[in-house]
Order: sequence, then C-alpha cells, then structure tokens
Amino acid sequence: MFDIYLPIAELSVNLLVILGMGGAVGFLSGMFGVGGGFLMTPLLIFLGIPPAVAVGTEANQIVASSVSGALAQWRRNNVDIKMGTVLLIGGIFGAVIGVQLVKLLREIGQVDLIISLSYVTFLGIIGTLMLIESVRAIRRAKAGGPVSTRRPGQHNWVHGLPLKMRFKRSKLYISAIPPLVLGAFVGLLAAIMGVGGGFIMVPAMIYLLRMPTNVVIGTSLFQIIFVTAAVTILHSVSNQTVDVLLALILMIGGVIGAQFGARAGQHLKGEQLRALLALMVLAVCVRLGFDLVVQPDELFSVGSAIGGH
Amino acid sequence: MIWRGILAMILSLWLTGQGVAQEDKSEQIESDISSRNIAILSNFTGQRIVIFGTIENSQHSEFEQALYDVVVAIRGPKDTIVIRKKSRIAGIWINAESHTFANVPGYYAVLSTRPLGEVANRTVLTAYGLGFDSLVLRPLGPNAPAKAADGSLNVFRSAVVRIRQRDGLFSHKPEGVVFVGRNLFRATIDMPANVPVGQYATDVYLLRNGEVLSHNRSQLKIHKEGFERFVYSAAFDYPLLYGIAAVIIAISAGLLASVMTRRD
Repeated sequence: MFDIYLPIAELSVNLLVILGMGGAVGFLSGMFGVGGGFLMTPLLIFLGIPPAVAVGTEANQIVASSVSGALAQWRRNNVDIKMGTVLLIGGIFGAVIGVQLVKLLREIGQVDLIISLSYVTFLGIIGTLMLIESVRAIRRAKAGGPVSTRRPGQHNWVHGLPLKMRFKRSKLYISAIPPLVLGAFVGLLAAIMGVGGGFIMVPAMIYLLRMPTNVVIGTSLFQIIFVTAAVTILHSVSNQTVDVLLALILMIGGVIGAQFGARAGQHLKGEQLRALLALMVLAVCVRLGFDLVVQPDELFSVGSAIGGH
Repeated sequence: MIWRGILAMILSLWLTGQGVAQEDKSEQIESDISSRNIAILSNFTGQRIVIFGTIENSQHSEFEQALYDVVVAIRGPKDTIVIRKKSRIAGIWINAESHTFANVPGYYAVLSTRPLGEVANRTVLTAYGLGFDSLVLRPLGPNAPAKAADGSLNVFRSAVVRIRQRDGLFSHKPEGVVFVGRNLFRATIDMPANVPVGQYATDVYLLRNGEVLSHNRSQLKIHKEGFERFVYSAAFDYPLLYGIAAVIIAISAGLLASVMTRRD
C-alpha cells in the first residue's frame, strides 16, 4: 500500500518503515544531541539498501539536520567561523580522497566490507569509551561527589607545531596543522561511512585542540554542513549513489523525530543518556561485526561490472 | 484493463488467423503480451504479464489431445556481471575469488506446458536457449578461454542462476503455459519490483514431438517514467547538477525545519 520505488537504490521499500526509521533516529539525535548518521547508515544497510547508496544518501540527509542544528548554535554565537573554516578545508580534502577510495573499492568489490569494518572499528571504540566514561560519572554522582568537568592543562604537544593562527572566538593561539589533519580525517570518514563525524570531532576539539566547550558543538555542526554537502556532490559525480527520494523521506522523519527527542531528553540525566547511547552504539557494532564473522547463507554475490572491462 | 486488452488481442489473433489459413497448412503460432510498455513509477512494486496466443492450422481435434507444447521465454537486457565468492580470511568473510561474465540477461523467465526435459531433448533446448542449462555464461578477462575450460567455473555459473532466482529475476515455471481452449494458450508471470529497465524480448515456441514447428517474437519495454525517470536520468546524465540540487534540497529542508521549530 505504502510501497515506494527508490530511483537510485532501485528497489521498492515501505514508505512508513523509512519514515519511522528517520523518526526514530531523529528522536535519538534530538535526545542525545548527536547527528545520528552512525546509526542511520547501518540501519539502511540492514534494510537492504546497497551500502554505497546508504552512505551517499545519509551524507545528504546530514546536511539538512546539521543546518537546523548549526542555526540554533549560530543564534547563540557559539560558532567559531575561523576554526570551522580551517577544519572544513581539511575536511574537503579528506572527502575528495574518501569518495575516490569508495569508487575504487566498488570496482574491486570490497566497498561493503570496508564500510562494515569502519563501522565495527569506530562504533566499538567510541561505544566502549562512552560507556566507561558514563558509568564512572554515574558512580561519582551516586557517591555524592562533585561531577567535575575537568579542564585539561594548558599545554600539550599540539602547541609545539608551526603555522600558528589566532582563533579569537575559541581564545586559542595554535598551529593550523592539527585542525587541518583532524578535518581531513573526519572528511574521510564522512565519505566512507556516511556520517557527520561529530562523534570524533567533538572529543578531539575538547581534548586535542582544547577549545572551550560552548563553541565545540556549533563549530562542529558548521563544518559538518559543508563537508557533508561536499561528500553529497562528490558521491553524486563519482558514484551516483545519492538517492534524493530516500534522503527526503529520511529528512522529514528526522525533523519530526528530533523535536520529540529534544523534549524527551530534557527529562533525563546526562550521564544516563550517555550510557544508553553507548549501549546502542555497541549493539549496532556487534550486529555489524556478527555479520562479518558468521558464515553467510549465500557465499556468492552478483554485481554489475563497474568500469572494469 | 488487462482483460479488455486480452480480449482485443484474442480477437485480432483470430482475425489474422482467418487470412493465413487459406495459404499455408502448417502449424503457426501467434501470440501477444498484455503490456508492451511497462513504466516504473514511484508506486511500482512489480508487474504481472500475461502472454496469450493461438495455434493456427492446429490438428487438435479435441481439447485433451495435447499434441503440442508451447514454451515462452522472456529475456531482459544483457549486461556484464561480476560474481564474487566470499572466503574466510583472518576470521571474517571477504569477497575473494571473482569472475566476470558477459551478456548475462538481467531477466530470464521460461514457462512451458510441461517440464522442459519432456518437451524436447538437450540439443533442441540448447539451440533455442531454453532453460537455465542453456544459458551461455562466457567468462571475460585476460585468461578467459583457459578459465572457460575449467570445471570450477560451473560453481560460479550455477551461483549466478541461484542468486537471480532468489531475487525473482530468473524463473522457470514448468507448467506455466496452460491451454485454455483447444488452440488457445495463456501464460502468466509476475515480474518483481527489481526488474532491470530496457528492451525485453518475448519468444513463444510451438513444439510437437520435441521439434520446434513455429516461433513468434514480441518486444516488451520496461522504462522508468515520471519522477523516477527524472531523478534517475538527472543522477546519471547531469551528476554535478544532481549533487548540487540534492544539497540545495537538504539545506532548504534544514532551514524550513528550524523556522518551524523556532516558535517555542
């Protein structure tokens, strides 16, 4: 009844299922304040969307969700434009390499594997770190001690690098090299995994670049808009793997879900929320890892020959 | 709508049959398909196709005589495909060995009045390309002739057939052609939503005692239409514009969302 044919993924899916998925992930991202790409891309893959299409399309959806997020931060003056620009110069460089890598991997038939492996690795690491951190925070809160938001020391190896720049909004005078490298790395992940990369960017900004926490989210969202926009365009040109119809349905579901999620999030404690999110991240990681390790029912797969003649 | 088309078809077949009957006394097959043009729109979930036909100058005197066999073969556009086999490497399942085959039909359905083995012998079936065993899957690549002789390729060939069957793209209905009158037959096939677009050929063969008496071909075109066609051709013909448009849509959606949610 509600089946809809996706022009690029070339399969028929249930509209309500896709809307519901967009809504559910939107709800979670509203509640936790995360982008949700790292949950949505695997979900699309579980649904049977070709992984390369899931990645390209999800990058397109993240543009929409980060625009509304970044605007809210912008109004509160929480965006460091200069830092964001340096990050996104690196990001676009990473995206170009990542998209070409996807193209190459598609030709040799290993793109699904690399996407899955990247997810298992990053979700595993991030999920475990988040879980440890949030369980400690919950214990501290129970013990009655102050929940310390420790500001790290003033100097680390980052400060010894050349090419120093002044970032007024972040009150920093540091080398441009770390943000460029960080941006490139996250851009690479955006192109291969269909994520905004906030889950890497935010901790790196706090602990590596030592940016003030109030500008971290806004600046991260600011550069995510441009990097995922670049990834969308580059994937469209090199791989034709962006399904605008699928992206549009996900955007609609995501916007509605995020509204409810943000309200629900206000009634929950931060550290419990983080523990919950960590468990979810680990669940997706285990599921993807399981599919890699367990012998599949069908060892063979058929694909059309791309490029290679 | 389909039924009205079929009625018109039967009528036209009967009329043409009247003319032919005077000149030629050998058995001829006449057939047509319920839809010669299938458009994939956003509500496309597959399509049922009915192939209808009659035998001219039939020597059937009664319905149960069953002198003839009819085989219908629908072949989709041909493509070069890669088939890969996963192997366990360092604990995980990775695509390892692969082969490329040229000219593999994207869709292939065979329907017959009886199992193909009873309709005709191997030589005849191969000559007309009927049945999965008659599909010619030629390997491509630098050492293709050497590989073609290698028996291990057969595992890959049968995997192609198995996977396409699972996806509904290859099918064989041994009793898919039914005589509904003395000389009138009908075959029904459901094409899945994932059928490839392109030009299809529907071949109808009339056989008696294992020999092909007559053959009739009609064309069938499957194409994307409307919004689906617009999106698809934009993505492949104007990829840069398509990407930019996708970004503009996303930015507008984000702006719209933030305007709508700002009120509270």
